[in-house]
Amino acid sequence: MPKPHRTLFVKYFFTLFIAVVFPLALGAMGEAWFGYREHRAHLTELLRTESRSAADRIQTFTDGIRDQLGWLVQFPWPDGQDEQHKIDAHRLLRQVPAISSVSLFDRVGVQRTMVSRLAINRIGEETNLPSDRAVAELRESVSKVWYGPVRYQRGSEPHMTIAVSGNRQANGFAIADVNLKLIWDVVTAIKIGETGEAFVIDDTGRLVAHPDISLVLRGDATASAFNRLRHDIAKSNSSATETKDIEGHPVVALVAEIPSLKWTVVVEQPAAEAFAPIRSSLWRSLLLVLIGTLIAIVLAYWLARRMSGPIRQLEEGAQLVGAGQFDHRVTISTGDELEQLAGRFNEMARELGLSKEKSDRINRLKRFLAPQIADLVERTGDDALLEGQRREVVAVFADLRGFTAFSNRTEPEIVMKVLGAYHEAVGAIIDRRGATLTNFAGDGLMLLVNAPVSCPDPALEALSLAIEMQSVVQSLVADWRKQGHRIGLGIGLAMGPATVGRIGYEGRLEYTAIGSTVNLASRLCSAAIDGQILVDAVVATAIDAKIPLQAMGAIAVKGYDQPVPVFTVAPSVIPKC
Amino acid sequence: MRRREFIGLVLWSAATFPQMEARAQQAVTVIGVLGSSTATDYGPMIAAFRKGLSEKGYFEGKNVGFEYAWADDHYDRLPALATKLIERRVSLILAAATPSALAAKSATSTIPIVFAIGGDPVRTGLVTSLNSPGGNVTGAAHINVDTAPKRLELLHELLPNRTSLGLLTNPANPLTASVESGVRAAAEVLGIRLTTFHASTDEEIEATFKSAAGSVAGMVIGTDPLFTSRAMALGAKSLEYKLPAIYQYRDFVAAGGTMSYGGDIKNSYYHAGMYAGRILNGEKPANLAVQLSTRLELLINLKATKALGLEPTPVLVGGADEVIE
Repeated sequence: MPKPHRTLFVKYFFTLFIAVVFPLALGAMGEAWFGYREHRAHLTELLRTESRSAADRIQTFTDGIRDQLGWLVQFPWPDGQDEQHKIDAHRLLRQVPAISSVSLFDRVGVQRTMVSRLAINRIGEETNLPSDRAVAELRESVSKVWYGPVRYQRGSEPHMTIAVSGNRQANGFAIADVNLKLIWDVVTAIKIGETGEAFVIDDTGRLVAHPDISLVLRGDATASAFNRLRHDIAKSNSSATETKDIEGHPVVALVAEIPSLKWTVVVEQPAAEAFAPIRSSLWRSLLLVLIGTLIAIVLAYWLARRMSGPIRQLEEGAQLVGAGQFDHRVTISTGDELEQLAGRFNEMARELGLSKEKSDRINRLKRFLAPQIADLVERTGDDALLEGQRREVVAVFADLRGFTAFSNRTEPEIVMKVLGAYHEAVGAIIDRRGATLTNFAGDGLMLLVNAPVSCPDPALEALSLAIEMQSVVQSLVADWRKQGHRIGLGIGLAMGPATVGRIGYEGRLEYTAIGSTVNLASRLCSAAIDGQILVDAVVATAIDAKIPLQAMGAIAVKGYDQPVPVFTVAPSVIPKC
Repeated sequence: MRRREFIGLVLWSAATFPQMEARAQQAVTVIGVLGSSTATDYGPMIAAFRKGLSEKGYFEGKNVGFEYAWADDHYDRLPALATKLIERRVSLILAAATPSALAAKSATSTIPIVFAIGGDPVRTGLVTSLNSPGGNVTGAAHINVDTAPKRLELLHELLPNRTSLGLLTNPANPLTASVESGVRAAAEVLGIRLTTFHASTDEEIEATFKSAAGSVAGMVIGTDPLFTSRAMALGAKSLEYKLPAIYQYRDFVAAGGTMSYGGDIKNSYYHAGMYAGRILNGEKPANLAVQLSTRLELLINLKATKALGLEPTPVLVGGADEVIE
């Protein structure tokens, strides 16, 4: 059962489609994956730079305050110099807006001066305030500066203490209360992309500075949330972390430490902005893959058609040619092996056509020519042989005597059997000798010698043929006699010019001879009795005693004015088999 | 099929058009401004408020409207004015100064109130705590009240040998009590004899200056919207009556007042404006911490001190954030 053509087409289509789409998709996925990794690394770099820069700026801020405080502990604290210290303190407050109050302690640790922006100043009092913690810390430590913890004044405003000591114990200590709201300027100035921001928290999660200052003023309310955030980020040590900010929005964040203050600067960028480039490049890749897929579909379809089309044409062609349509040609102009194949196919069809024609011709010839003659004619390809012409021919007629009566009274099977035996016997001889059998009608047959193909001694050849025939049939006759059938064979030969050629119409052409010679041969055959071969004078002359002939006088033949001399072959010549 | 679609579209538009119009009307939010003083005097403050509002994307006339209610220094009118604003269905109330804030808070507990005051938000009872106001009230404070004692100290610095100083307050203002007690406490520490003067109207202010010029060496002007609105007049009077005076408003010093110390009033209104914008954007007042002035600025008018025959110490002049010459 021929399978539908679609299978090959579908195979090609899918192969081509996958061949294009697979590498494309692979490439896109690879690019997306590597792009994402690169982007993460880049993001980490960016955030790290920003966070370090932010940390540095804050460090600078506090270092600046520390440095300014240093002015106040340059000289030892002599008694009675409180006025100078008051002036110094006021100058400090003028110079450093972040300091909201400064206290100066002498070398013993007693507060001697306190100048504040809000509270009433205390100058030159030997207040018995408990020794400030800062003083104690400074006394213990080697470094000259102490940073206090972040605390929220009135639960809202972030403050811290910065305390410095001079190079000598005698210089005393300067302790400043710093309003950390003023770090806000530093933090606000830090921009990460469009929507990113930085903020600062201390080691317990308390917010020190944030672009939204109202968040800082919330005091401890936000501490736990920020602490959680800090721990989340700290887990992934050195690269940007994807986490959620305190409101639950996804962000990418990184931290930088400020060791001296034990603060952490957190820089974060909303995940939407951070991954926007990746997202857009992913969309681009997807779009490209989509376009590629569409192109692949179109291409695969077109190519598959191109490949399976010619094959289908060849298949159809084979079918048609196989059914006998040899003039069918396959046109393929793909310019490749398929076109070559089509050419060969067409050649083959043409050859088949030619061969069919040839065999048709031979078959036509074989109808009346002996096979070898037919081959010869075909081989020489000389169709002209069959053309109408006048030739010197020997016409031989053979007829079964008593056959009509026999066929009337005998069953058809026996009649056919007899006829068959007769034809088989006679046919073998005709074929062997290469005579032209023009036709046989029932029990009679007509032969031609020397047409369409010439033969060397036509009369002798014809007569020998007739003798052989008679001989063979006589043995058959003997058998038939035994079976009760009274049948005999009479043969007549005549030689002379005749018109030979094909007569009939297309599809039913026969080769025959026309002329008085032919008539004469027929008359002679009718006149011949069983076992007799009658020849005319021309044949007799041509034989020239090679075969003994007996004159039989003359008989009147229609068409001839004069009675025609007739000769017979001596019975002894005919071999008995 | 297309004709049917077209008809359907026309019908749908006709049906929703009235809804769309109504929605367009609702889209304009209205901010009610409850002012203790007058529109003209508080003009710069409201301008600062508008600037803060615009930072959050709200522009007057475009997507937000203003409804004004001024008490003209008659603080007893404030409750009625507050009720009127509420009936007007404002989305938010700006309370300009402490008397307005207290009146607004009593009038409503649902409409958000943003204040810009000189008093202490917690001590006046407006909010429960600075870090989480709770309720519907939040805002910014320029802590006039807290800086009043410091102003006495500065005046004392300017007039080191004079022990008799005055304090001017407006008894109609609920804040007055805390101002007076704070300044009195400071006076004790500093060893100053303090005389308190009261004035609620322009005439009373005039009378005060007249009488004070002889009895005290300098005047600390306490917190009050009336005084803020009359700042320039007060500055001129200080020069006229040759009475050194200190307040908390730049315009006062520019007009002839001797010194000014405290948080920037306009800055508070700016912060209040930003808060108003955030609340209109959907944030809750309870989550917005109260903002106190970050910077306290000292201004000194040297022309005035010269005219008054004073010589401010280098500490005073050096420590000033702005010197007007």
